[in-house]
Amino acid sequence: MPVKVMFAQLASCWGCHQSLLDLHETLIDVLPQLEIVFWHTVADYKLHDVEKLPDGSVDVGFTEGFCRNEEDLHLLKLTRQKCKLLVSYGTCSTYGSIPSLLNLYSIDEALSRKFKEAESVVDGRIPDKYVPKMLEYVKPNREYVKYDLFLPGCPPEPPLIAEAITSLLRGEMPKLKERTLCDECPRIKSEVIVLKKVKRDFEGIPEPEKCLLEQGYICMGPATREGCGAVCPSAGFPCKGCMGPGPNVMDQGAKMLSALASLVDYESVSPEELVKTVKDVIGTFSRFTLPSSIIPKSVFKKK
Amino acid sequence: MAGDFEPKILGIFCNWCSYAGADMAGTSRMQYPPNVRIVRVLCSGRVDPQFVLKAFELGADGVLVAGCHPGDCHYVKGNYRAERRIALLKEMLKQLGIEPERLMLRWISASEGAELVKTTEEFVNMLKELGPSPLRKTS
Ligand code: SF4
Ligand code: SF4
Ligand code: SF4
Repeated sequence: MPVKVMFAQLASCWGCHQSLLDLHETLIDVLPQLEIVFWHTVADYKLHDVEKLPDGSVDVGFTEGFCRNEEDLHLLKLTRQKCKLLVSYGTCSTYGSIPSLLNLYSIDEALSRKFKEAESVVDGRIPDKYVPKMLEYVKPNREYVKYDLFLPGCPPEPPLIAEAITSLLRGEMPKLKERTLCDECPRIKSEVIVLKKVKRDFEGIPEPEKCLLEQGYICMGPATREGCGAVCPSAGFPCKGCMGPGPNVMDQGAKMLSALASLVDYESVSPEELVKTVKDVIGTFSRFTLPSSIIPKSVFKKK
Repeated sequence: MAGDFEPKILGIFCNWCSYAGADMAGTSRMQYPPNVRIVRVLCSGRVDPQFVLKAFELGADGVLVAGCHPGDCHYVKGNYRAERRIALLKEMLKQLGIEPERLMLRWISASEGAELVKTTEEFVNMLKELGPSPLRKTS
């Protein structure tokens, strides 16, 4: 009997679904075992297609994205209700990811920026009819509904997805790896790190084998969970932290900020210089996890 | 109303200098404002930014981190680490809409009881001017 699945897209960029399609040939083995009952991202399903399903009748549900408006929240709750097992698919769904950095601004500021101030807009106005009500700020989905499995990544890497799906098909709960990204990173690390200079990503050309953090690049490895195969540092690019916090980390941004501050040589890098190099502290350290951070949003100025 | 506001402050003091300084202020019967709840850590370099954020999240109006003077750290470099962490943390607070002045870092040695008293008084007065933290749960 095929396994009944549904995919719910909330506020997201579709990148996670794209990554699913990147399974290529693996899909040929997997697809015949699935009965897809809802996937409005790729075919013409309507909300009532989900609403009419009996509760708990879908074996596995996947959510991509977070709740930006009331309609997203409705679909999220509905998905939970209809599915036996709910998978948080991707970092938007799990921690908030990049688009939820909007938590640093109020809804009014955001709407005005997008519909009135954006450079491409002429005579803009903010739509107010036939649109669902925006939620004030992004909260992690797990604060609204209970999940059975989290599959982070922006987007999750295809091998991680393949592993998760095949174990679910065998009727087993996938076991995600739990160490920090540095543990699976192939770059060569020294015992002691002393940074004489902190560099922005575009400065210089990184040495091919040595740990990027040791070379002064802000690589989020120490505060990030493994599981992506350390694809970015392997390709010569510092990790941005998209897998979310590593083990025993409460706040990924605060953790990495702390790690970086303790690695710099105090005689070479002043506090002012460090702040100047990092520039955007939240955008650098909490890029993927602001809504799941200890302080999840900006204190919006009351009008 | 504003006149009644008593800021709640978390003080995170290093064992070797600032906590000993607070002790000295106490044993010399110097009076300092009761607004500060002091937590002792082994070194200002042990102050995890997560502690500071948690304190603000729980409604602290200010956080005062105090450690040994540069060059005097019992563990050699802890206070330099603290200095850089706090500089970055202040930027983070700014982005979150919280006044960075609510986080203060000071060097206070074991013999500087009077300095400690002065620092806390100044901090309390400054926070009274600023008013309650925007993260304080409105009751
Ligand atoms: S987690 Fe990343 S790839 Fe997936 S929807 Fe969000 S932004 Fe897109
Ligand atoms: S800091 Fe980055 S480059 Fe260095 S080991 Fe960790 S993940 Fe690899
Ligand atoms: S290396 Fe970092 S940014 Fe790149 S995929 Fe892995 S967790 Fe994400």
